[in-house]
Amino acid sequence: MGTKMYLVKEGYDNLRKHSSKTFSTMLIICATMTILGVFIILFQNVNVNVATMRQEQGLQAFIEDSATDDEIDYMRDEINNIPGVKEITYLDKESAFEDAKEQFKDQEYFLEGLDKLQIFPASFVVKFSDIEKSESVREAVEKIDGIYKVKYNSTTIDAVSSISKVVNIFLLVVGAVMLVISVFIISNTIKLAVYSNKREILIMRYIGATNRFIKTPFILEGAIMGVLSAAISFMLISIGYVVAYSKLPQVGSSLGVFGFVPYTSLWYIILIAYIVLGLFIGVFGSSVSIRKYLKV
Amino acid sequence: MIEFVNVSKKYNHEVTALENINLKIEKGEFVFLVGPSGSGKTTFLKLMIKEEEATSGKILIDSKDITKIKKKEIPFLRRKFGFVFQDFRLLYDRTVAENIIFALRVVEASEREIKNQLQTSLEMVGLKGKENFYPNQLSGGEQQRVALARAIATKPPIIIADEPTGNLDPVTAEGIFKTLEEINSRGTTVIVVTHAKDVVDKMNKRVIALKEGKIIKDDMQGGY
Ligand SMILES: Nc1ncnc2c1ncn2[C@@H]1O[C@H](COP(=O)(O)OP(=O)(O)OP(=O)(O)O)[C@@H](O)[C@H]1O
Ligand SMILES: [Mg+2]
Repeated sequence: MGTKMYLVKEGYDNLRKHSSKTFSTMLIICATMTILGVFIILFQNVNVNVATMRQEQGLQAFIEDSATDDEIDYMRDEINNIPGVKEITYLDKESAFEDAKEQFKDQEYFLEGLDKLQIFPASFVVKFSDIEKSESVREAVEKIDGIYKVKYNSTTIDAVSSISKVVNIFLLVVGAVMLVISVFIISNTIKLAVYSNKREILIMRYIGATNRFIKTPFILEGAIMGVLSAAISFMLISIGYVVAYSKLPQVGSSLGVFGFVPYTSLWYIILIAYIVLGLFIGVFGSSVSIRKYLKV
Repeated sequence: MIEFVNVSKKYNHEVTALENINLKIEKGEFVFLVGPSGSGKTTFLKLMIKEEEATSGKILIDSKDITKIKKKEIPFLRRKFGFVFQDFRLLYDRTVAENIIFALRVVEASEREIKNQLQTSLEMVGLKGKENFYPNQLSGGEQQRVALARAIATKPPIIIADEPTGNLDPVTAEGIFKTLEEINSRGTTVIVVTHAKDVVDKMNKRVIALKEGKIIKDDMQGGY
C-alpha cells in the first residue's frame, strides 16, 4: 500500500467512523439532487418538445405587401443561403387564405365578407435542417429587407417557448439553491470530521506531515459522499422516470401535444450533471471547512 | 548541527520567554535543558521546529537559517526531529504498532521501510511482543516507550523530549533515560528538558540551564 492508497483508505475510514453522520449527509444531498434531477428532466422535456415542434413546423416570415416578384425571388435566395435552412416554401395570399379556411373549418363564417387579400399576407415557410440553428436562422431572416415579421409557425411553440424560459430560470434557481445547501451540509460534516481528528492532526503536524497529506483524506471523504449521493440519486431518478414514462404520452406520437422524451436520450445528461455536481460539492464543501478549521 | 545566534522570543510583544540566546549543539550530543518553570525551555524547543517564530536572531539547523524558510518547508524541517512529550500524545484507538506505523505513513515511508522500522524501533525501546496492545493496556512507562519508538521510527537525526518522565515514577524514569542514552549512542542527537535532578547529576552529560529566558550555565559534563 503506497501513500496514495493509504490516504484513500483514511478518507474511507473517516466515512465509516461517523457512519450515521455520513448517512444523514448523503440523505440530504440525495434529496436535493433528486429534486434537481426532476427539474433537469422537465427542462429537457420542454426543450426537446420545443425543438421538435420547431423542426416540424419551421418558422413563418411575412413579406411586406409592397414587395415585387423580383424582390420576393431575391428574398428566397437570401433565405436559402442562411446556414441551417432545409427548405423554403412560398405561401401567397391566396393559399394563406385557403390555409385559414382549413383552420377554421367549422367556423367559416369567421372569414365571410373579409377582404382576404388585405388580411392574409404572403409569407415564406422556412424549415430547419439543424434545429440548433433555429434561433440564428430566425435572427438572419428578420434582418432581410422586405420581411416585416417572423414567427415560429405555431402558437403552441410560442407558448411552450415561454414555458421553456420559465423552466430554464427555475432550473438555475433550483440548481443554485441545491448547490448552496449541499456545499453547506458537506462542509459541516467535514468540519465535524476535522474536529474529531484533531488529535491525529496535531500529532501529524509534529511528525512532519505535509498539508496535502493532512487535507487529502478529508477532501476524499467529501468527494466520496458527493459521488455516492450522485449515484444513488441517479438510480432513483432513472427508475422513477422509466416507470413514469411507460404511462405518459411520448414525443412525436401526436404533434402539438406535449410528449415525453425517452430516457435513452436523457440519462447521460443527468449522469454527467450529477457526477460533476457531486464531485464539485464534495471537493468544494470539504475544502471550505479545511481552509477554515485546519488552517492549511 | 543546531546553532542559535542572538535569539530572542517575546510572546505578544511583552512576555520575554528567551533573551539573546547563543549556543551550539553538535551532531551526536546528549544535552539536558534545565531550569525553573517558565524559564523558556519549551519555547526553546518550539523555536527549533518552527512551532513558534523567533522574534529576532538566527536559528541554524544543518547550517540553514530556519527563521527564513517558507511555510511549505516546515514539514520537512520537522522530519529532522523526533518529538516526545510529557503526556505521551498517543492515539488511544490504535494499537502500539498502528501508532508507530502512523508516523511512518506521515513521512510517506515505503512498505519495506515501514516493516523494518517498526521492528527496529520496537526492539530499541524494548516493547517487542506488545505491538497489538492498545495504549490503555500499558503502564505509563510503556506508553512513553511507545512514544519514543514512534519518535525514532522515522530515523530523525535529532530527538527532542520535553519532560518525558514528568508523569513517571523515578525508577521508570531511569529506564526511559537509559533508552534515550542508547538512542544517542547510535548517533542521534538528543535534547531533553527535565526536572529530574538526580538523573541529570548521575548521567554526566552536557547541561544547559535557563533562568528567566537566559542561559545561566552551560557545562559540558555538568549537574543540575
Ligand atoms: N503561547 C504563549 N503565549 C504567551 N506566553 C507564553 C506562551 N507560551 C509560553 N509563554 C510564556 O513564556 C515563558 C516561557 O514559557 P515556557 O513554556 O517556554 O517555559 P518552560 O521553561 O517550558 O516552563 P515549564 O517548566 O513550566 O514547562 C513563560 O513566562 C510563559 O508564560
Ligand atoms: Mg515546558
